[in-house]
Amino acid sequence: MKRLNNFTIRVDWLLVILYAVLVILGWLNIYASVYDAGLGLSIFNMELNSGKQLMWIGITMVVILLIFLLDLNFFTTFSYIFYGITFLMLIGVLFMPEVNGAKAWFQIGAVKIQPAEFAKFTTALVVAKYMNDYNIKFTSLKDYAVVFGIILLPMAVIMLQPDAGTFLVFCSFFIAFYREGMNPTIIVLGLIAIAIFVLTLLINQLYLIIGTVVCGLLIIGIAARTLKKALTVVAGMGLIVGVIYSVDLIINNVLMPHQQKRIQVLINPNIDPLGDGWNVTQSKIAIGSGGLFGKGFLEGTQTKFDFVPEQSTDFIFCTIGEEHGWLGSLLLIVLFMVLLLRIIYVAERQKYRLARIYGYCVAGILFFHFMINVGMTIGLFPVIGIPLPFFSYGGSSLLSFTILLFIFIKLDAHRMQILTRG
Amino acid sequence: MNIKKSILVRVRIAFLLVFLFAAGIAYRIFNLQFIEGSKWREVAANTSLQYRTIEATRGNIYSDNGSLLATSLPFYRVCMDPTIADEEVFKQSIDSLSIRLSRFFGDKTPTEYKQRITNARKAKRQYLILNRVQIGYQDKKVMENWPLFREGRYQGGVIFEKVEKRFKPFSTLAHRTIGYINENDYGVGLEYSFNEQLKGRNGEILSQKMAGGNWKPVFNESDVRPVEGSDIVTTIDVNLQDVAESALLRHLQYHSADRGCVVVMEVETGYIKAISNLSRNSDGYYSETYNFAVGQQGLRDPGSTFKLATMIALLEDTNLKPTDTIDTGDGSYKFYKETVRDHKPGGYGKITLEEAFVVSSNIAVAKLVDQHFNLQPERFMQYIRNMGLTEPLGFQLKGEGVPKFPPINKWSGITLPWMSHGYGFEITPLQTLSLYNAVANGGKMMQPILVSAVKKADKVVQNYPPVVLNEEICSKETLKEVQQMLEGVVERGTAQNIRDSHYAIAGKTGTAQTLRNGRYVREYYTSFAGYFPADKPKYSAIVVIDNPKGYNQYGSDVAAPVFKEIADKVYATDLQMHAPYHLSDSVEPGVFPLVQAGYQPDLSEIIGELGINQGVAPAEDWVKATVDSNQIEWTPKKLSMESVPDVRGMTLKDALYLLENKGLRVQYSGSGRVERQSQAPGMKALKGSTIKLDLGY
Repeated sequence: MKRLNNFTIRVDWLLVILYAVLVILGWLNIYASVYDAGLGLSIFNMELNSGKQLMWIGITMVVILLIFLLDLNFFTTFSYIFYGITFLMLIGVLFMPEVNGAKAWFQIGAVKIQPAEFAKFTTALVVAKYMNDYNIKFTSLKDYAVVFGIILLPMAVIMLQPDAGTFLVFCSFFIAFYREGMNPTIIVLGLIAIAIFVLTLLINQLYLIIGTVVCGLLIIGIAARTLKKALTVVAGMGLIVGVIYSVDLIINNVLMPHQQKRIQVLINPNIDPLGDGWNVTQSKIAIGSGGLFGKGFLEGTQTKFDFVPEQSTDFIFCTIGEEHGWLGSLLLIVLFMVLLLRIIYVAERQKYRLARIYGYCVAGILFFHFMINVGMTIGLFPVIGIPLPFFSYGGSSLLSFTILLFIFIKLDAHRMQILTRG
Repeated sequence: MNIKKSILVRVRIAFLLVFLFAAGIAYRIFNLQFIEGSKWREVAANTSLQYRTIEATRGNIYSDNGSLLATSLPFYRVCMDPTIADEEVFKQSIDSLSIRLSRFFGDKTPTEYKQRITNARKAKRQYLILNRVQIGYQDKKVMENWPLFREGRYQGGVIFEKVEKRFKPFSTLAHRTIGYINENDYGVGLEYSFNEQLKGRNGEILSQKMAGGNWKPVFNESDVRPVEGSDIVTTIDVNLQDVAESALLRHLQYHSADRGCVVVMEVETGYIKAISNLSRNSDGYYSETYNFAVGQQGLRDPGSTFKLATMIALLEDTNLKPTDTIDTGDGSYKFYKETVRDHKPGGYGKITLEEAFVVSSNIAVAKLVDQHFNLQPERFMQYIRNMGLTEPLGFQLKGEGVPKFPPINKWSGITLPWMSHGYGFEITPLQTLSLYNAVANGGKMMQPILVSAVKKADKVVQNYPPVVLNEEICSKETLKEVQQMLEGVVERGTAQNIRDSHYAIAGKTGTAQTLRNGRYVREYYTSFAGYFPADKPKYSAIVVIDNPKGYNQYGSDVAAPVFKEIADKVYATDLQMHAPYHLSDSVEPGVFPLVQAGYQPDLSEIIGELGINQGVAPAEDWVKATVDSNQIEWTPKKLSMESVPDVRGMTLKDALYLLENKGLRVQYSGSGRVERQSQAPGMKALKGSTIKLDLGY
């Protein structure tokens, strides 16, 4: 009894409350996005997504209880096994029939399970465990190779589904790596590559190459006095030109036609306002027509007409923008921001390295989801179908985000224990 | 220290990243909602979505045998977007188009049309109504091939706007009864009274506004499909209606009367078979503008037709016999200060009760009613109520007139005697008719019914079976007595002029003075109510002609002939009213019907039906018949592919069939069967050559 009391005291209740608030607000907004005044169905109606979401919320409660009751070591000890199971599931799902153009779901009766959702936390656990157990500090090439291998393995299989959203989310592990000592150059290089990639879409290739060469020459002239430095710059220039040339190749061969379209639409939404630009345009209309206070709960007109597909899942943010205006959107952003900052804060107070790394992984995953999801609804990112954590309708995503977060809360609650044990 | 510092920096960067990004999003949303807000709201308005109505097709109105009385047809309004066509096409077509438009509509010259279209094109007006006249589908088909129009909506710019229009195949027939309805769901007649059933339910479809003001449907689960209106089947008999309407019109014109109405009812069911109301407009033409037979404005002092009700009350309540006599005096009789007069100068003197009814003596009924019911007026009213005359009948058309009877406590000494011959209260012609119909129907009072069923496609949604309002309005004895009196009216009384030797009519004339501003003026409201054939009543009818001009102003002279005309037509055409014609059972031996030649199976069937022996049927279909002792023998007619067939002895129908199948042109003269044919049988049949037939026998 005393132990339990200690445990409840040590649980970071702020995180739990933030989680609960997000889930409940999400549930209300799911109802708003599927609400039809003509039908007047109740929020509890199981035919509506809101009713089903409530059922999933109930299931997650049970899961949360389980996480709290299970021994702490259960997750860390078996993390490789979990990782292995989800990896096998990711391969297994490739043999499932296609749903919406992707082989991403196991259909068990009426329930659809998306293994990629669960791969997020199992990978996070393995990354944390491995880096903790072998004291990885990114000092050797081998460190990089193994750790990158852990995340690249599931990423590769996910790319085969294909599921670009989850693929991108796995990039969030670099945030944790960075915290644990990874050379920032890798991130900088990655960002430069993305920047060039986007620039090639905006600017004529030839101008871009000329610009690169001019910049390079300027740098050599001003900063690179030694031959070695000059050569480095030249090598960098060559790399950039290579990237520029490869953009066309990537766009035409790697990206799917709809993904190419989505990137083009992002740059110029007017090229196809009724086709590929439709979602984003309608989403912007919905948010843009919300104003300061919004139209009021269940009063949104743009979101009611079901013109944005995935209204209750990926585009749930529209509903908030339209019905609750700028203030509502701001509240949501603040809630997420506080949640993320709190996770980072809590991660930093861990003495147990595994818990800290895991915490950063959680923060990174949630941050990427939030960034990409909200970014796409307001036209900052191309449309990539990933859910808004805790908010979007969907059993798999709610369950996996909950497990992801609550394993961390559990780890945190036991921090004193681990310290004494350590 | 260095490592610790580095980690601290990295943590701060992580914090900063989250914070910056959150700020970025907040800014971006702010930007969307405030700085670009108006733009997005405008976009929302332009690409706005709206639920647009799909009008349900209105149901049809049918006659009793399924003829269409009213239906909805598509009509079109010709509009165009003159800015669409290419300059070249436009220049090429505009002249000939204008000429055709001018010729078709006939309201403007080609130059005017050309100018209108060209001006609109210059002014970049995207919508021009060429003419407000609505055209039919056939005309639209033709127009679609006109220059410029044939380029279609998206190259030529023509717009045919569909408008649903109510169409009455029988034109003005039963115009008012069928009625109409305006956009506000207000109207008259069946269209109004059965609007709920006819109109169906409009659907809704979510549509998105497209460029040029068109709407594109967005498919959506919440679309509401339109529910087509139900059809209603009336009891109107188109032929009877036509007869009634034309008879009424002719007589109204002859008498220059103000208005008139006719209602024909099927005795057994109360089904209204014809109902017509005509009134004269200021130009002297007659048209249906108000349903006087049923409506509030049709309430009138009924006059002598009401004596039937009085007589029933008297016979029921007293032991008076039709043979009892009554002194009607010298033709005038005073009640207090007021005088009741009889029609005949000098009066009828002492007559039997039946005679009094037959000659329509006002004094007789007034005196008897006064004597008998003076002290118990409530009792008299009880009889009237029992005959269903004090309450509306619950008719299916909205706006039925409510009878007006003065309340008994307001009665004066003369109320009762005046009421006895139809003055001092108001009822509609339909009510008078239902009383007469009840008498014809053996005392069983039926509710008048105009709509027998509401149907959806071929499925009956609701039936309106005959409704009995009162099983027995009076005793069988009384009924028999008044029936005899009604027959007497036509036999030897006021309506002798319509007596017919073929069938008997029973009825009663009525001539009421019109009450105007509280005074009875010398204007007459003439009527005749009755039924026929008197021995086995099939139809009852009432004819009302209001304010006839000229010498003849009595019900007998004005209204009764209309009744007679209708009755005659019905009698002549209704097979059920005639005794079946008995054929002798056996065919006299040796007498054969005229069978010459024709299609064997047909002939064989007829011969078989007539019970005549016939020979073995040959393999060929076309035969010639010969009489052999007491039976008919069939000889096949040889028909070959190329030769002219032998059609002699055939009816023209058969001959035409055979000859035209061979490609011959047939000319014929005379009537009967083919006697001679100009091209001999067996000749080679030349396609297109003419063969002349002489018909004879």
